[in-house]
Amino acid sequence: MKDSTILKSMSHFIYPFVILYGFYITIGGDLTSGGGFQGGAIIATGLLLMTFFSDVKFNLTKLNKIEKLLFLFIITVSVISLFTKGHAFTNPFSENKRIFLITLNLALGFKVAVGLVNIFESFLEEGDPF
Amino acid sequence: MRRLVSVVLVVFFAFLMMSRFLESGFFVNELSSNYYIFNSYTEVGSKNIVTGIYLDYRLLDSIFEAGILLVSVAGVIFMSKKDENVKR
Repeated sequence: MKDSTILKSMSHFIYPFVILYGFYITIGGDLTSGGGFQGGAIIATGLLLMTFFSDVKFNLTKLNKIEKLLFLFIITVSVISLFTKGHAFTNPFSENKRIFLITLNLALGFKVAVGLVNIFESFLEEGDPF
Repeated sequence: MRRLVSVVLVVFFAFLMMSRFLESGFFVNELSSNYYIFNSYTEVGSKNIVTGIYLDYRLLDSIFEAGILLVSVAGVIFMSKKDENVKR
């Protein structure tokens, strides 16, 4: 990868704010525009900025395992309503409905972020073609 | 020649779709959209109607959307590995 001082210092400065903004979009998905998919993409951008200024490496097999577990977690959380309301794939609570929405939004956001980081990391691991 | 044929085909299909759209007289069925606008906050508890739809009314579809991402990530990782590194 080519070295650039401006890119390194600016990405070092800006990456925590990007990750924070991604969490804001993910958690506030049921109040304002946004949601799990969009916020997850922003969190992934913040994590990828880390690879520009440091030698941080994400383990591919571990990331894959985390993504599978999050997918199973989403399915189990959405099936809970089968026992409380009688039919699956809906909100299990009758009051405090935001808990369910925030949980699913966070799980979806993490899953999308891990997936995008995984794709980028596999390209990095492949190496420089030049 | 192939480029000309493809351009003619694209124009033909665009004309077909536009004619179907103009025939309908810009009539849009507002039954379901009105239902979501008036009932989604009381039924789902989400102020953002889009979130209400994809996390409650269409949760099964969202699960498969996340599954598609999982499968595509696995495919990209498989394709991007060098041939001598793939375990058989």
